Amino acid sequence: MLVALLTTVATWAQVSFKADVPTIVALGQPFRIEFSVDAEPERDSFKAPEFAGFDVLAGPSVSTGHSVQFINGKKSASYSCTYTYVLMPTEAGKYTIGAATVTVEDKRYTTEPQRIEVIAEKESERPQQGSGKAHGSTSAESRISKDDILLRLKVSDTDVYKGEAIRASLVLYTRVSIADVSDINIPSFDGFWSQDLSFDNAPSREEYNGRIYETHKITELLLSPQQSGRITIPAATMSVRTPVEVQSNRGFDPFFGGRQIHYVTKNLSSKPVTIDVKEFPQGAPRSFKGAVGDFRISSSMPNSEIECNSADQLELTISGSGNLKFITAPKLSLPDSFEVYDTKIVDNIKASASGTSGSITYTYPFVARSAGEFTIAPIEFSFFDPATGEYNSLRTEPFTIMVEDDGSSVTQSVVGNYTNYGSTMRQLDRDIRYIHIGLLPDVAGSVVIFSPIYWLVVVVLVAIFVVLYILLRKRIRDNRNIVARRMKRADKVAIQRLRMAERSMGEGNRHAFYEEMLRAMWGYISDKFNIPQSNLTKETIREELFRRGVAMAVAEEFCEIISRSEEAQYAPSTDGEMGVVYADAIDVISKIEDVVKH
Amino acid sequence: MKRIYNIISVVVVFATLLLPSKLMAADAKTTAEVCWSEGIAAYEAKEYSEAVRCFEQVAELGYTSADLYYNLANSYFKLGEQHAEEGNRKFSGGELGRAVLNYHRALREDPALEDARYNLELAVDYTNDTEPLPESFIVTLWRGARDTATSNSWAIASLVLFGLMLGLIIFYLLSNNIALRKLSFFAALLLFVGFIFSTTFALSSRSDVEHDNRAVVICSDTTPVHASPESGSKVIRQPSQGVTVRALREHGEWSEISFADGEKGWIRSSKLEKI
Repeated sequence: MLVALLTTVATWAQVSFKADVPTIVALGQPFRIEFSVDAEPERDSFKAPEFAGFDVLAGPSVSTGHSVQFINGKKSASYSCTYTYVLMPTEAGKYTIGAATVTVEDKRYTTEPQRIEVIAEKESERPQQGSGKAHGSTSAESRISKDDILLRLKVSDTDVYKGEAIRASLVLYTRVSIADVSDINIPSFDGFWSQDLSFDNAPSREEYNGRIYETHKITELLLSPQQSGRITIPAATMSVRTPVEVQSNRGFDPFFGGRQIHYVTKNLSSKPVTIDVKEFPQGAPRSFKGAVGDFRISSSMPNSEIECNSADQLELTISGSGNLKFITAPKLSLPDSFEVYDTKIVDNIKASASGTSGSITYTYPFVARSAGEFTIAPIEFSFFDPATGEYNSLRTEPFTIMVEDDGSSVTQSVVGNYTNYGSTMRQLDRDIRYIHIGLLPDVAGSVVIFSPIYWLVVVVLVAIFVVLYILLRKRIRDNRNIVARRMKRADKVAIQRLRMAERSMGEGNRHAFYEEMLRAMWGYISDKFNIPQSNLTKETIREELFRRGVAMAVAEEFCEIISRSEEAQYAPSTDGEMGVVYADAIDVISKIEDVVKH
Repeated sequence: MKRIYNIISVVVVFATLLLPSKLMAADAKTTAEVCWSEGIAAYEAKEYSEAVRCFEQVAELGYTSADLYYNLANSYFKLGEQHAEEGNRKFSGGELGRAVLNYHRALREDPALEDARYNLELAVDYTNDTEPLPESFIVTLWRGARDTATSNSWAIASLVLFGLMLGLIIFYLLSNNIALRKLSFFAALLLFVGFIFSTTFALSSRSDVEHDNRAVVICSDTTPVHASPESGSKVIRQPSQGVTVRALREHGEWSEISFADGEKGWIRSSKLEKI
């Protein structure tokens, strides 16, 4: 059971059902279509598609084959079953042969629908086969017309940009059988960088100038133009020998070899091809160095933290398709204290029919000579994309690298003329300072100095000065008068107070007497010298009197009377003392009045 | 009441005197503002030829500020540098001369514009200008002090100082206190000295601008300077673009110039642009 299942699986895995249909056929010429399956189909399970637009001349004819092989003791069996139809196109045009189905072990398989083109061939100049009455080799030659064998150099594009790769293939087109070819002369592709491509050399069918040919690729190359302008690829040449059957002129019975085979040698030459190579358009970015195609870049730095004086590297990979071989390494700008070594280049480039593609990896090794944190500026790479006709610029991410001080940087930093940052900072480069951004400055004002406005301001200032001076002076004068009046009043007030004290003395009221005495003394000084009472102390009185030219002794006496009055106000004292204090006070005030006169 | 009326009338007179300089055709102002911001944007995008065009247009509209000349000079300088990246010679379009010229103009408008001084020094390094004759220490000192501000700033300062001085004189005349009077007297004296200096600076700065006969050599590379105003005469020097000279007099198509080191010669007037 299990084995049976396994076999089934194995069988399923192997089954393939394919349709073999020519892609191009000529109107009025029968052709074959084959559907082949490599397993035994169930009886009558094959269903052919509709052959709309074609007459079925024959078919389906079924042929089966079965073979068993033993190789190194292993058995391998193969089975094939082919259904063949012979069809005749009835009308020119494009048709699709639909899917055929077949059932193998309860499973249905279908073929892919196949496209087929029917073309009405031009009337050939070649005489009809069999009706030829030509004799000899000259007539044999004439039976091969120049349209029967052609050599063509096919290029994928004739209008390209510099550096844009094109595919060129040298193809032999033939409608007759060929015995051999010789003297293949492939032209020199001056102005191009060429590269051989591997190609499939199986013959195929192709329509050209309204006729169907069998084509054989002779060589296929990838060309990338290295200069702009019109470049002409010269003709390729080759010789071909074809067998031609001719009627024997000896009159033998055709059955005994009355037909002879003549070999006709044809020298073929392809038409020269002109390629228009366009120069790159204006406006190339600064980092553009001739890369053409479609690329991507990536960069990596294995270590972002290194020790001083140790090596590190940055890798940049450019991948994509285009003229990778001609890309120059993009410039890496490193901080000044980094020592840079030669860039290593590893490429992995494949050439294919659509151009070269692959990747190039640039490795930039460097040694950091001084410690610190550094930023490695992004690498810029620009290329020209011929598909869009535009330049593209790619930038890598900036890297930050931390260089740690290993302690040796002081001694080693002398090496290579690099100073470590312990010494003064070095001016690395200079450039002009940046423009001033901001709002548009106003129109520069007119000249101020000695202008009418200037003089006007001066005049106004002087006028203000004069007005202020006059006003203030008047007020000061008035103030002075008030002071003078108060001074005049000073001794009068003092005398009034003294009288009141005298009255208190007569009544024997000690407290009231001394209070009036003190008020008279303080009030006198305050009014006389225009000093507020709150600012007065004995010390200031002494100073003020001295400043006004009163004798030191008198000032002392004045202060002493104040002291005595203050003490006596609350202390028990003899009655006779009041009269002494009163007399002394009058004496002192009159002495002061003598000196300070107003 | 009458005094207040007087003050108001003075203010009105002031305003009418100041106004005309502020008044400009409104559309010209917006055009200039648009050009100005376009110029800055172009500079930021490293489109220096566009930046030059925009700033030149603002200048044509009558704007003469230091910042404008400074930005214009920077744009010329960067444009000239860009030639090198395109494979041509640096400053092959005569940009260096234009840059030097406009830095000088910026400094004429504002002698205190430090950035312009710095950039001018850098630009002059690319020329083959000679070392100037040594200046006396006092002249250097005088000029250094004077060029810390514009003529107008000095004029305004002189007015302020004058006003303050008058105020202090009032104080001096009317104060009772002897100490205060002494203080105000000396302060007023100091202010008077300051007033004299600032007025002199303003005047000197102004007269330097008015009598400025400096010119800058504008050419794509170098241009010959002849011994006499005829092309057949001996070529005595070959100054590069951006060399600053003094234009002394003109004779036909020729101008007599003197170099910084005192050497005189004749140059075609078309190769000179006055600052």
